[in-house]
Amino acid sequence: MAGDIRPEDPPTQAGKFSVNEDWLATAVGLVLLALVLVGAIPVGVIP
Amino acid sequence: MSSEAPSRAEIDSGEAPAPPSWPWIVLGAVVVLGLAALTQFLVTWVPEVTAGTGFGQVADSIEFPVYAIILGFLGNVILSALRIRRRLAPAFRTEFFIKTGVVLLGASINIAVIVRAALPSIAQAVLMISGVFFFTWWLAGLLHLDDKLRALLASALSICGVSAAIAAGGAVKAKKEQLAYVASLVIIFAVPAIFLLPWLSGILGLSPAVTGAWIGGNIDTTAAVSAAGAIAGEEPLQIATIVKVTQNALMGVVAVLLSLYFTFRVERSTGGERPGWGTVWERFPKFVLGFIAASIIATIFLSAAADPDGAKAAIGVVNNLRTWFLVLAFVSIGLEFQASSVREAGWQPVVVFAGATVFNLVLGLILASLLFGNFQV
Repeated sequence: MAGDIRPEDPPTQAGKFSVNEDWLATAVGLVLLALVLVGAIPVGVIP
Repeated sequence: MSSEAPSRAEIDSGEAPAPPSWPWIVLGAVVVLGLAALTQFLVTWVPEVTAGTGFGQVADSIEFPVYAIILGFLGNVILSALRIRRRLAPAFRTEFFIKTGVVLLGASINIAVIVRAALPSIAQAVLMISGVFFFTWWLAGLLHLDDKLRALLASALSICGVSAAIAAGGAVKAKKEQLAYVASLVIIFAVPAIFLLPWLSGILGLSPAVTGAWIGGNIDTTAAVSAAGAIAGEEPLQIATIVKVTQNALMGVVAVLLSLYFTFRVERSTGGERPGWGTVWERFPKFVLGFIAASIIATIFLSAAADPDGAKAAIGVVNNLRTWFLVLAFVSIGLEFQASSVREAGWQPVVVFAGATVFNLVLGLILASLLFGNFQV
């Protein structure tokens, strides 16, 4: 049926990113963590 | 929450979607960032200017989620009046912001705490999901609601709000309007709970762990759990997050069970593909893995650091980043909110949602007290 919600349905509104949000959030979170731990984002830069 | 979770604007039914437009998306991002920056400014500025006045003590106790959500709602009203809110909506990424914030939150929790909390969290999640799901299913049946709407309401209330409703919607082939309606109810009930539960926890004198477990087990959306946890304090926020992500992780199991039930009992169809472990993995909220990975990395980093103070300062920077992502998420909650689909839906589902929410609160408080009464963060 046209009105059914299927798990594989893409976002219904145009303009949304199609990248898997879970993996994107995981990648962004871990990259930021790594940048802080190696000193690329030093103390005092983030208010 | 699952990766398929759309924002409120996405699931709103009955309105034509706006065409994608990068200038509008960039403008939306500027609005979200601007309101987040204003939130951070108000958190320090309001207590400073009200110090020594009657409002000073109150201002001191107002946490950032309060400013963020209020500013989000104000922005919502203004952008709606200007008729540009829907064009900017693709930038209001509540789900992405909250998931990134949760991953970063993992860095402030020792992995040993997650391991110790895992067993009571799983026990609470299984008991809460079973209890609230069947109570909601029963109450909705009493009011003669459609089986698919019953499944959506029961999943949303017992697991994790909008994402669970979407997972259940896919499993039982619900209508888009039913999903939009349940999602609206989730948000409408979650927003007051953000303020109510920390306040009640204080009145009841609950410990930080019980407060966190109660918040994590009760409030339906992960973003609202984080907001309530942040208002209650750092330790309640940590436990609330662990309890909530445990509940989220069980969403795939419930989706599979619902698929099986609707395939073989409700619709009596035998031709459909049988759901299995693939569905469980598909519905598993993968950012939970990022949360655990961040905790392991930070725990090793702190224990192996030659300069413990420097290492702690670095984790402090991670915490600041986490706060920014949470502020972005809370601002987006306010910006995305719209109650239009609720007006068309009738009173029965609202009664079911309200009744099940009260049951959820009581059962959650009992289980949190039993399972986390002696827990030390």
